[in-house]
Amino acid sequence: MNTTVSEGIRKTVLVDFPPEQAFDLFTRRIAKWWPVHSHSYGGDEVTNVVFELEVGGRVYEVTDKGEQDWGRVLELEPPNRFLLEWLIGEACGTAVEVTFAPEGPGSRVVLEHRGFGASDPRDRYSSGWEFVLGRFASESRKA
Amino acid sequence: MSANGVALDALGDPTRRQIFDALRRGPRSVGELAGGLPVSRPAVSQHLRVLKEAGLVVDRKDGTRRVYRVDPGGLSEIRDYFDSFWNEALDRFAEEARKEQE
Repeated sequence: MNTTVSEGIRKTVLVDFPPEQAFDLFTRRIAKWWPVHSHSYGGDEVTNVVFELEVGGRVYEVTDKGEQDWGRVLELEPPNRFLLEWLIGEACGTAVEVTFAPEGPGSRVVLEHRGFGASDPRDRYSSGWEFVLGRFASESRKA
Repeated sequence: MSANGVALDALGDPTRRQIFDALRRGPRSVGELAGGLPVSRPAVSQHLRVLKEAGLVVDRKDGTRRVYRVDPGGLSEIRDYFDSFWNEALDRFAEEARKEQE
């Protein structure tokens, strides 16, 4: 495995309610909390943020002018985790994975944003293979 | 997304983002880039100049052509940008979660 592609970002947040509710707030109700003012293409013109809860689903912002994609759902295992292909220009082709695990009466939410620094096409292949192999490993654990 | 630093300002233009995305897939000459985009060769050169000044791409002479590729240093700036991007986004998520809990 190539290590140059793994210098990703990892963030942890603890919330006071169970994974089911944390997952729902993060995805289906993303428009309730996402800071569109600073974290969108349209800024204050954004009227909605949509997270389509299906594999292949889109994550996008809505303005009066139309829709702008942010990501595509690659894997979805509610309420435990999802994996997105992140489509925002400067980080196009990177991956965002968020996991939700029970912790005491609440949950631990861990976000990882990976795939930076893959300017060499060989790195992009190996990062692709890391995803494929990671998926294979998670499937085989389930079996 | 809102610009933070020169590199992200340079990527504020959709055509420049397309050029940068093409270069992330591998090194290209000006001619190759212009062939895949609905803009003229001089316009591509102008966009490349902005990307180069922002530290996002580097160029190298290869015979008579000039070949451009992504500068890994520019990517690390983008990584840093998303580091604070997620801090702010997750703060808002945690804040909303706290509100709902009350």
